[in-house]
Amino acid sequence: MTAFQRILLTGGGTAGHVNPALAIGRALGDDRTTYLYVGVRGRAEADVVPRDGMPITFVRASAYPGSWPSAAWLGFLASTAAGTLKAASVIRRFRPDIVVGTGGFASAPTMFAAALLRRLGLYRAGIYVHEQNAAPGKLNLLVGRLADRVFVSFPETLSAFPSNGVMAGYPLRRRIAGVDRRAAGEGLDFEVPAGRRVVFAFGGSQGARTINRAVVDALGALLPHKDRLFVIHGTGLRRGDGTYDAHADSQDRLAALYTADERRAIDSFYVARPYFHEIEKIYALADLVVVRAGAGTLNEVAALGLPAIVIPKINLPGEHQVMNARALARSGGAVVLYEQTLTEHGRPVEHVDGMLLAHEIVALLADAEGLRRMGQAGPAFVRHDALDIIRRSIAGEESSASPSADAVAVAASPAALPGNAALLSRLERARGAAGARGFDVRLAIPSAADRAYYTSRATSLVASRFWESRNLGVKLIGMLQARECLPLVVALLKDRTRAAWYKRALGGDFEQVGFVRRNALAALARLGVVTPEVEAVLVAALNDPYYEARAEACRAVTELEPHLSAAGRAHLVAGLVRLLRDRWLEVAAAAAEALGHVGGADDARPALVALQDHKFWLVRAAGLRGLLALIERGQAGSLEGLEESLRGFALTATDFRPEFTIRTAYARVVTAIAARRTPS
Amino acid sequence: MIHLFGHLLEGGYRAYSILRLLDYLSTRAIGAAMTAFILMLVVMPRFIWYLHHRGLVDQTRETGVPSAFDKAGTPVMGGAVMVGCVLAACLLWCDLTSSFLWPVLGGLLWFGGIGLADDLAKWRARSGNRGMSEIRKLMLQGAFAALFAAFLASPWSPLPAREAGAFYVPFVKHALFTSEWGYLPIVFLFVMLVGNAVNITDGLDGLAIVPSVFAVSALGVFAWVMGNAIWARYLFFPLLPGVGELVLVCAAFAGAGVGFLWFNAYPAQVFMGDSGSLAIGGCLATLSVLVKQEALFLILGGLFIAEAVTSQIQDKIGIKWLGRRLFYRAPLHHQLQHTGLAETKVVIRLWIVSLILTLVAIATVKLR
Repeated sequence: MTAFQRILLTGGGTAGHVNPALAIGRALGDDRTTYLYVGVRGRAEADVVPRDGMPITFVRASAYPGSWPSAAWLGFLASTAAGTLKAASVIRRFRPDIVVGTGGFASAPTMFAAALLRRLGLYRAGIYVHEQNAAPGKLNLLVGRLADRVFVSFPETLSAFPSNGVMAGYPLRRRIAGVDRRAAGEGLDFEVPAGRRVVFAFGGSQGARTINRAVVDALGALLPHKDRLFVIHGTGLRRGDGTYDAHADSQDRLAALYTADERRAIDSFYVARPYFHEIEKIYALADLVVVRAGAGTLNEVAALGLPAIVIPKINLPGEHQVMNARALARSGGAVVLYEQTLTEHGRPVEHVDGMLLAHEIVALLADAEGLRRMGQAGPAFVRHDALDIIRRSIAGEESSASPSADAVAVAASPAALPGNAALLSRLERARGAAGARGFDVRLAIPSAADRAYYTSRATSLVASRFWESRNLGVKLIGMLQARECLPLVVALLKDRTRAAWYKRALGGDFEQVGFVRRNALAALARLGVVTPEVEAVLVAALNDPYYEARAEACRAVTELEPHLSAAGRAHLVAGLVRLLRDRWLEVAAAAAEALGHVGGADDARPALVALQDHKFWLVRAAGLRGLLALIERGQAGSLEGLEESLRGFALTATDFRPEFTIRTAYARVVTAIAARRTPS
Repeated sequence: MIHLFGHLLEGGYRAYSILRLLDYLSTRAIGAAMTAFILMLVVMPRFIWYLHHRGLVDQTRETGVPSAFDKAGTPVMGGAVMVGCVLAACLLWCDLTSSFLWPVLGGLLWFGGIGLADDLAKWRARSGNRGMSEIRKLMLQGAFAALFAAFLASPWSPLPAREAGAFYVPFVKHALFTSEWGYLPIVFLFVMLVGNAVNITDGLDGLAIVPSVFAVSALGVFAWVMGNAIWARYLFFPLLPGVGELVLVCAAFAGAGVGFLWFNAYPAQVFMGDSGSLAIGGCLATLSVLVKQEALFLILGGLFIAEAVTSQIQDKIGIKWLGRRLFYRAPLHHQLQHTGLAETKVVIRLWIVSLILTLVAIATVKLR
């Protein structure tokens, strides 16, 4: 085929979009080709593209803001519109033979402009998109529809582009491969002692706080292995906006966590550098990598056959890092660790337990056979001919891969991960089927890795600034029976930040709204762990200003009854007795039932007997159920005279349950048929 | 049609002078009510069986084994029959040239059509929650409300020009203000509110239909007074020539409503569904506007308004925004049930309340 002479490339925001654009561009052109790269000033492309010797021009663009309507949304529309106009003029002047975009928000204006100009008849050549991630972003979904063809890296992704998707794989930088391990050590400012297994941990050019902290935390646990191990840590460069100085933060944490002696020992097997310009050398040295799940990193690591511990960043658009990580893990090339969200000084912080990371590192390095198998799975996972497929497809030649093979891959790929709401309703159905007491999340979600992932999502929801998300998150924590999240649930219940005055005027109270508190209490009951702090929270919740939270607290007391301490029980019973006079009958009824399960003859019995004068029969009935529980537990004291004292419970009510007798008959016929039909 | 037929015959032969009876409003009103009622009794049993066999039944829950207690499986869309019977009775007994008649029948059919589409959508989705989207429903209703308001301001409006922008309140003889720009937005909002209020009220057996019959009867009284020159002058009402024709619509409606109650009484054999409740809402809204009693409807239809307002406060302010419930449950009738009242008791108590409200509303005919 003939090479293209004028190629316009775009894509960026992060290096993960820029490198494939450069790789594809170089593959499509030859020595005489004129290139132009369109990107956004100050982002990764501004640094990477000139270093590759390619001219770059800048347009305005900003990331998709997610929620709307908001001020950010207006800003997004304005800058995208401005960027599109500028990009249109760039295209008109450059007159490319082909436009290739690799996604990221930086590519959107150029792709919109190219599509627009083509619609107007002012641009006639091809428009192509490469999608690196398993789950395409919103902008790429839109841009993909305007393009002639969308090359995807994972077979799963084809379903998002049914008409024009082509399975190609991830275009790898050529220089990554082929570095000899012995030669790799030369030119580095540190030396790896002979005979050590090398772990390379890095979170991309700007660093990943989760990885950096987890690695530093893990060093202590790795100390006993210091003679067999060497950790190379790429911390990341200082972020342009000054939000996170990765290297300084890591060094501070190191100093804070370990004594001087420990630090000296650590220095014998640990080096940290902000950035490695020749990352291929470090790759060549490494036996195991700890990485984020960006498509670029993951594909490079897999292509090189490096076993990986992957820590995907959660809550990205379409959960694409998680999808990437799970895809590689399914092929056997990686182990996935999920970050959990903690609240630190009132701000959410993602976190991976350093002990857990250390444990994984030691276990993987100890198992030579397992490591070898992981290393073999990686290259099989990666399509090495991605650039070739892209080149042939654009030239109109038959793709070398048979389409049926791709179709099989799509069918075999597992269904998309359930969203948070779908997950919750799935768990609720399972709980409904198993009964509240018999429900065990380990049966509903057998895979421990999946549970860890869902818990990770739930904790990150709890850190959201929207109460609807926090509400969903706390419900999920309860349903997932994630005991490790107990502090998070307790923190929600202790948070007494007041809501804005106009909300309080209409009946609101705290930032952690009534539903969140109610569901946090329900979650507490499901976690089934009682600490002194939990007891204190329960006592406080019995005085919650929101009636459903008070009622839920009563039910939680019942659920947690076996684990209560004597002192906690006394406090709770006193609180429950007070609630019997609650203005909201739902609370009084819940308190009466709870008293039956935690109270005794001296405190609960007289209070429950006194309920016979209550105005609402629902509360009187709950009082009777409470008394029944007391009697059945043998805690009602002397039964002499009890019956006489109950005469005042007038046994009439304003409601009773009518029954469709015909349906009872029908149901009996149906069951009879089912019983007789089963082969004996 | 009978009206026209009577005129034709009477014009030709003196001997048919008994047919003059067909000119009297009272005779025709009774005829319309009886027609609608009897039609309901004839058609409904067959329709209920048809709905059962087509599986057009209530989809509120995921049914496994038939429960002896809940009502899932009761056919919906009984309202469509009601609309049909009202329409048939009106076509039979009304003066079809009346320009008061068509906006009301238009409201009935338009809102009924929206409801029917919603019922069918729920049935197709096999879920009580997945009918027509709320936005689409509101858009379609809004389109009618806007057309209706524009119609009132147009030269084809049946109302006399001086009444086009007049806004009356109960217990006051004269219009509170007369301004089309002030009045028409009120009409729009009123139609939207009332159009949906009955829909929200319709949740327990017989709960929506009886107060609707009360309300429509009271509106019939107002239509009769305002269409009659003598009574209008005596009671200081604006005379709206021709509005008497609406008495027939009210009568047909009341007849069909009672016929519906025959089957809808606890335990219900059929529900009206959205096709009934929205149609009633659209009909009540247009009737009230045409007899200039929008403000009175806040008393007359106080039950509907209370149901709609509690439901909106609970849902929009409480659950969606503040993240808490402000009542135990909403709308009103579910709140009452939640405190332990049996369904029948809730329904009959609310009937009593709505009867009292209707009597108060009728009292305003004289107390002004």
